[in-house]
Amino acid sequence: MGNEWALVFFTAFVGLGSGTFVAVGVSEWWEEDAQVRLRGGILALIALAAGGFSSVLHLGHPERIFGALGHPTSGIFMEALMIGLTGLCAVAYLIALRRGASGQVRKRIAVIGAVPAILLAFAVGDTYVMASRPAWDTLLLPMVYLISAALLGCLSLGVLMARQQKAEAVVALKWTTLGVLALQGVVVIAYLVAVAVAPYPNATRSVIRVLTGNLAPLFWGGVVLVGLLVPSSLTIAKRAAAPLPVAAATFALVCAFVGAASFRLLMFNLGTSVWHFF
Amino acid sequence: MAHKTLVIDLDRCLGCFSCEVACKMENGVALGVYFNKVLTIGPTGTFPDVEMYFLPTVCQECADAPCVKVCPTGASYKTEDGIVLINKDICIGCRYCMMACPYGARSFNNDAKVVEKCTLCVHLQAIGEQPACVKNCCGKARLFGDIDDPASDVSKALKAAGSDAVHSLPDVGNHPSVRYILHRKTATWQQSQPENTGRESQNG
Repeated sequence: MGNEWALVFFTAFVGLGSGTFVAVGVSEWWEEDAQVRLRGGILALIALAAGGFSSVLHLGHPERIFGALGHPTSGIFMEALMIGLTGLCAVAYLIALRRGASGQVRKRIAVIGAVPAILLAFAVGDTYVMASRPAWDTLLLPMVYLISAALLGCLSLGVLMARQQKAEAVVALKWTTLGVLALQGVVVIAYLVAVAVAPYPNATRSVIRVLTGNLAPLFWGGVVLVGLLVPSSLTIAKRAAAPLPVAAATFALVCAFVGAASFRLLMFNLGTSVWHFF
Repeated sequence: MAHKTLVIDLDRCLGCFSCEVACKMENGVALGVYFNKVLTIGPTGTFPDVEMYFLPTVCQECADAPCVKVCPTGASYKTEDGIVLINKDICIGCRYCMMACPYGARSFNNDAKVVEKCTLCVHLQAIGEQPACVKNCCGKARLFGDIDDPASDVSKALKAAGSDAVHSLPDVGNHPSVRYILHRKTATWQQSQPENTGRESQNG
């Protein structure tokens, strides 16, 4: 497969949107400033809309998309449903915030909304789990998508909290972000192991191609350096009780987004079929 | 239940590409796109013990077709005859079926913005004719019929070949129905995708 840019941006933006919404919901328990949550909810909606727009660019006939409503077992139906539900919950959450609903109500909406958001982050990766593509035929693939959404959520919350002074929340976010970064690293390594032991080995989907071949710049530069090491360094470097400056926090988020996109490009390049005829 | 498919006798295939040309002519397949493509498998072995055969590739009309399962609109479907087809009027061009096919047997039509594949020339079947690739095979290597009917030509050919000489492409749960006949006297069946099939330069 080539670089399916529309799908790369679709899944990356959806990861950003769902991750941000869940992170904003978690911040309800940290009693952060309402402005942080308001901006976070809006950011989540914009990211979900950008993801939806990107997915439409991939379609040959987007005007026929409503035909998918009749086939609820397909991956596209699940993705569309979860985007809709997550967006709906984000809107409900924003309305609750604007109307000054109690913390109890907001927390309930956040918990209910987290379910489709987490399912969405997983589903956009799970769609690619196919026996026809040995490098994709592992549940570690949607796990990478899910954890990358969590990472994007943590870092976008970091940007939103950059002007906050509440030490407890800053410390909690720092350690959560580092934990998610470590988990992302572990799952990426596990995914490469799964690719290495996948059936029907072929040079086009070999780990050698990833580590030392023509995909090495994308992996080492995009996934490892920009996607993991730079955000890790920035997160570790900040003082325990003080948030990162806005510019640094934004840079960490952009790097994680580039890393997420790089992994998706890597995945598409490894996604050759068992025996490609044409 | 009927399952119409192809049986291709590789002992008889001479690699003339008539099936490929006939398919493109009959179905108006665009330049650089194939519904049917003949690959060269080999030479394998060490000189002087080398062997080679031609492998005409086509949609494998899978019994458990993954392309049908992933289609979000039902555009990819199976007929009562077991043939996998695409309703281009409701195809949204998402290309998930192309990803789900283990053989890359589907292609995207950049003009119509829909996915296409071999139809086993259903339009010719409708008027009682055989698919173009079968009709035009000068080696009489291609047979078309109901593989579930013991009295069909395809079933008889498979029975006559013997089970040791009947092969199919790798099965990842899709259960391909196209069968290839290749006896050891001609060559050894290669189960995995070879590095070179003689057509790479044309793939770009």
